[in-house]
Amino acid sequence: MSTAAIKAKSLTKEYDNGRGCRDVSITVGKGEAFGFLGPNGAGKSTFVKMLVGLIHPSSGSGTLFGHKIGSLEAKSLIGYLPELYRYQEWLTGEEVVRLHARLCGMQRSVADKRIPQLLDEVGIGKRGRDRVKHYSKGMQQRLGLACALVNEPAIVFLDEPSSALDPIGRQEVRRILQNLKEKGVTIFLNSHLLEDVEVLCDRMALLNNGVILRHGKVSEVLNKRMSWRFKVGGFAPILLSWLKDQTGLQIRVSSHTEESIDSSRVWLEAELESEEQVGWLNTLIIEQGMTLYEVSHQQERLEEWFMNAVSGLSHRGEHE
Amino acid sequence: MRIIMGMTWKELMRKRVMVLTLIMTVVFLIGFWFIAGTIGQSSMSHGSSFPSGEELLIRFTNGLFILSFGFFFGAFVIAFLAIFSSFSAISGEAEQGVMQALLPRPIPRWKWYAGRWLGYVTLGIGYALILFVSILLITQAHTAIPRDGLALFKSFLLFSSIVPLLITVSMLGSGFFSALGNGVFMTMLYGAGWLGGMIDKVSSSLLSKPEALSTLNNMTGIMSLLMPVDGLQRRMTAELFSINEMNGMFNASNSLFGLDNFTSVPSNSFIVYAIFYTLIAFLIGLYRFQRKDL
Repeated sequence: MSTAAIKAKSLTKEYDNGRGCRDVSITVGKGEAFGFLGPNGAGKSTFVKMLVGLIHPSSGSGTLFGHKIGSLEAKSLIGYLPELYRYQEWLTGEEVVRLHARLCGMQRSVADKRIPQLLDEVGIGKRGRDRVKHYSKGMQQRLGLACALVNEPAIVFLDEPSSALDPIGRQEVRRILQNLKEKGVTIFLNSHLLEDVEVLCDRMALLNNGVILRHGKVSEVLNKRMSWRFKVGGFAPILLSWLKDQTGLQIRVSSHTEESIDSSRVWLEAELESEEQVGWLNTLIIEQGMTLYEVSHQQERLEEWFMNAVSGLSHRGEHE
Repeated sequence: MRIIMGMTWKELMRKRVMVLTLIMTVVFLIGFWFIAGTIGQSSMSHGSSFPSGEELLIRFTNGLFILSFGFFFGAFVIAFLAIFSSFSAISGEAEQGVMQALLPRPIPRWKWYAGRWLGYVTLGIGYALILFVSILLITQAHTAIPRDGLALFKSFLLFSSIVPLLITVSMLGSGFFSALGNGVFMTMLYGAGWLGGMIDKVSSSLLSKPEALSTLNNMTGIMSLLMPVDGLQRRMTAELFSINEMNGMFNASNSLFGLDNFTSVPSNSFIVYAIFYTLIAFLIGLYRFQRKDL
C-alpha cells in the first residue's frame, strides 16, 4: 500500500458554466487529517466527488493508497459522507447501514456485530429500527456517518459532516473523528465549521474559484501571526507613538474598553512574529516608566485566517 | 447485483407501489368478473344441452371480446406500473442525493444499473403473470378461452415483453432528464405509440382513399417504431386468438373486437426490431450511466 493516502495530480473538472476545479494537486499522507476549505462554490465538493469516483475528471489523475481514483480497489478503502445526503426513506436506519455493509462485501455475522455498535457510537442507538423517513436532518447526518464508517475505511471523506447537528452532536462527531484519527484513519474533511478543522486537522488547503490558493500545516498557518497583549499602567498616548516609532510595529490600545481599568491602565495589542520581539517590547515598556502587569498571547483563529485569506477576492458563491 | 435487485424489490414493496397496484387490480378484476359474466350469459345456450355450431362461434367470439377487453386494460396497467416504478431510477435518486452515498461503494456502475433493471423487470413480469392468469381464469369462468398452450405461452411472453421494454426506455430517459421530465417524456412516448395503433385501426376501417391511407400508415409506422409497445400488444392478441389459423372462420375486423386491430398484425421482423430496440436502449442507458457525473 502506498504511503500517500491521496495523491491528486492536476485534477481538473470543467463545466460549461465555468465552475468545477482546475489543476488541483495535493498529497495527503496516510493517517493524516486534512482540511479542505473554501467559500461556497469554490469547487470543494466537486474535488471530493472526483476522489470518491462520483465525478469523472476532465483531466489530471489521482490515486488513493496507490489505486486509481474511481477503481473498485480505491472504493473499497473509503467511507464517504456526502454533502447532500439522503438515505432510502423506506428502509430503517439499521437496514441502510446493512445495505452499505453488504455492498462492501461484509459478512453477515460481522455486520450483525458491528452495526449496533456503530449506531450507538453515532448516537442513533435503538432508533436504528425506525424508518429513515422519521429521522430528523441531524439523525440522518448521524446515519450518514455510520454508513461512511461501517466498512472500517482506511480513509474517510466527510463533506460538511456536522452541518445539520446541534452543538452536542458536533462535539460527538468531533470525538468520533478524533478517535478515527488516533486509530490511524486518514480523514479528508471538507467543512465550513473552521473550528472543527482547526482542532482536528494537521494540514489544510484553501480553494477559491476552483484553484488552490494556499496550503500548509494548520499549526504553521496559525502560528505565523500571533496577537500579543500587554497590560500596562502609567500609560499616556504619547508613549504609544514613541513605542511605534522605536519598533516599527503595529501597536494599538485594545478596543476591549471593559477591560481598561482607567485611562492610565490599558491593554496594548501588537502582532508579533517571535518571542524575541515580545522581550524587546517588554524592555521598552519598562524603560519608559510604565508598569507591566501582564503579558498574554492570543493565537489567530482559523476563522480569522480564512476571512483574511479570502477577503478582497472575488468568489463564485457571491453570484449564487 | 443481487443486493441491488433485492433493494429494488424492497423499495417497490415498502413504497406500496405494488400493494396499491394489486389493490386496484383486485378492484378491476371484480369489475371485470361482472362484465365478463354479463357478456358470457348472452351467449349461453337455452333449452338444448348441446350448443349449435353457431352458438359455439358466438361463445368463442364473446370470449375473445372479453379477453381483448381484459388485456387492453391489463396492458395499460403494466405499462404504467413499468413507467412509474422506474422513471426516477437515476435522476430522481441523484437529485435527492441517495445515489451519492451508495455509488462510492465498491460496486461497478453496470452492476448497479443491471440490478435496478432486473429488480423492476422481475417484479413487473411477476405482476403481469398474475394479471394474465387472472384475466384468463375469469374469462374461462364465463365463456370459452383458447386452450392452445403454446399460443398462451407466446402471448404471455408478448404481453409481459412490454415490461422490460418500457423499463429500459424509462431508465434510459432517467439518465438524461429530470425525474419529472422523464415521467412526462415516458407518458407522452407511450401515448404516442398507443395513439399510432388507434389511428391505424380507425384509418383502416374508415378511410378508403389509398393516398390518405398510405400517409397515415407511414405516420403510424413511425409511431410504432418510436414506441413498439402497442404493436407488441396487437401481436400478443393475435397470437392468443391464433388469428392466422382462424382466418376465414369469422370476421376479425368485426366491431366486436373494437379494442384491437387484427387487420395489421405486426410481423416477426417487428418482434425482432422490438428486441433490438430494447437491447440498444439498455446499452445506451448503461453507457450514459457509466459516464454520468453525480
